[in-house]
Amino acid sequence: MKDHLLTWLGAQRSILRVLLPLVIVLVIGSAFHSNGAFFAWETHRAVLREVSVHGILACGMTLVVVAGGIDLAVGSVLALGAVSIALLTMQRGWPAPLAVGAVLAMGAACGATSGTLVAFFRAPAFVASLAMLVFARGLAKLCADGKKVTTHFVGPDGLDRTVPLPALFEGLDDRVIGGQLSVVTLVFVACAGVTWLLLSRMRIGRYLYATGGNLEAARLSGVPVRTAVILAFVFSGVFSAIAGICQAAQETHGDPETGMGYELDAIAMVVLGGASLTGGRGNMGGTLVGVLTVGYLQKVLSLNAFSLEARLMLTGAILVAAVLLQSRAMRGTEG
Amino acid sequence: MRRRSALELGLWFLTIAGAGCGGEKRGGRGTRDSPWIIGMSQCNLGEPWREQMNRDIEAAAAKHDVLKMVFKDAQNDSLKQRAQVEELVAQGIALLLISPKETAPLTKPVAEAFDKGIPVIVLDREVEGDKFTAFIGGDNEKIGHAAGEWIAKALGGKGKVVELKGLMTSTPAQQRHKGFRDAIAGQSGIEIVFEADMQWLEPNARKEMESALAQQSKIDLVYAHNDPAAHGAYLAAKQAQRNEGMKFVGIDALPHEGVAYVKDGVLDATVLYPTGGAEAIELALRILKGEKVDKKVTLGTRIFTKESVERGGDPIP
Repeated sequence: MKDHLLTWLGAQRSILRVLLPLVIVLVIGSAFHSNGAFFAWETHRAVLREVSVHGILACGMTLVVVAGGIDLAVGSVLALGAVSIALLTMQRGWPAPLAVGAVLAMGAACGATSGTLVAFFRAPAFVASLAMLVFARGLAKLCADGKKVTTHFVGPDGLDRTVPLPALFEGLDDRVIGGQLSVVTLVFVACAGVTWLLLSRMRIGRYLYATGGNLEAARLSGVPVRTAVILAFVFSGVFSAIAGICQAAQETHGDPETGMGYELDAIAMVVLGGASLTGGRGNMGGTLVGVLTVGYLQKVLSLNAFSLEARLMLTGAILVAAVLLQSRAMRGTEG
Repeated sequence: MRRRSALELGLWFLTIAGAGCGGEKRGGRGTRDSPWIIGMSQCNLGEPWREQMNRDIEAAAAKHDVLKMVFKDAQNDSLKQRAQVEELVAQGIALLLISPKETAPLTKPVAEAFDKGIPVIVLDREVEGDKFTAFIGGDNEKIGHAAGEWIAKALGGKGKVVELKGLMTSTPAQQRHKGFRDAIAGQSGIEIVFEADMQWLEPNARKEMESALAQQSKIDLVYAHNDPAAHGAYLAAKQAQRNEGMKFVGIDALPHEGVAYVKDGVLDATVLYPTGGAEAIELALRILKGEKVDKKVTLGTRIFTKESVERGGDPIP
């Protein structure tokens, strides 16, 4: 009975330790509130919008990391998604549902390629997704012809054209519930919901944890490890494409250079959320906290107009502190 | 893309032709049958402004059938650019155009090409010493100053301004900042209420602008060190429904970016940072014909506003 209680407390402690960095950031934000700007709902609404694109990437990253992999291609696939949606809706005039479907399919194809390389050709996830990072960026630049894809373009007849911003772009960058929540935030919440369902409520989730925890043991006990790994990458690709559509909507164009380095932010968020890069550990709730921690940290630094140097160093310091807390939490649950 | 693969083919052909007939004068004779071959080493085609520079060069060179261009993209890597300069020299070009990524690592390869008798025109960023034929570049401080003067006038000498700075460890950002601050130094009514480093990136600019909007109840104007950042700031203000009466000023004035934003009424003004592509080709022709040219050419700038955008902007004296 006593043992049981201790384990339960240990489990709670690990959740608390994931939450602690977020709480610290929020306390700092309340102390340095910049003329009360930190307490305004607009600020929190802005944070929720700003973290959405990174958060969507972090959802896919959580699935891949739980399965014992890593997906470095998310930022590049995001750019490919942003360029494709802009190209299809603005310049080719495709209807939005068709264009979105095509872009998501493209994201799935990118993920499936990385996943297949990992599952069937035994390529390390780091290498397979690194290859996809380079390839997808190149493809994005090729599709965009090296420039941003905007509503101003040269038509097939060689004449300059201007089309109105597609309704999809307007809609995604809009706000709902009386202007209180950005639409992209809702997209992020939906992606987080799907990820939570997959990991916590469906058989595939158990397969992912088993594969990431111990690949050989999982295989021997009949877990379809290859399917699990490929599916994790496919979801990561699809989420990256969704993030790309949201990014394009918020920039009102498709920029082939966008999303550079976002993969590292997404990995940081997932790790802050308590996932282990060796696989088998992590969950959507933790990632959500990680996403908010990074988002609020950036906001507090930005509101107080910290210099870039200070921001980079403080972000690094907070990450280290959080990871140290995590490893202590690990020992706590195991001991 | 089609252009680049055609160039690759051209390069192969050149190498083979060069091996076949050693008697040919290096880099062509400047006739239609044997055009002068000009190598252009660009440091990073990932930047739209540099893409525009290559387009300007290509368009200017296409007007002269005595010229043939060979483009190389170093993909933001100094050592790769160094290797590409050496390749171009080995392939026997008549003249080298280079927009170097960094000063120090590219000084030596440029000097080596120059010592072999190949004229070199350096674009945008300088190299050390004097072993090059000519340098063409814009003046970022002057551009920042022009933006500052326009802003002071547009605000009537009074207002709250947000400055969104480029990567402040880079020279263009430092100069665009200094020129601007010098221009508004005499205007006690103009107050910089918020400034942040957005690292030239539009999503960062939008985030910083949201912070500025949360912190400041009144903002009259946003001065951004490039047009994408000014656009990002506009989107942030628009979503907060505070863009009415707020002015947005950017820099670079690329045809499909800043100038288009002014036409759309998103930006109130943008100041041109010229690529110098067309000027480089004209200068190259004069050098190849044996004329004496100035060692340093500083490009003029133009400002595009709602009133002047249709007539192609107004020159800044």
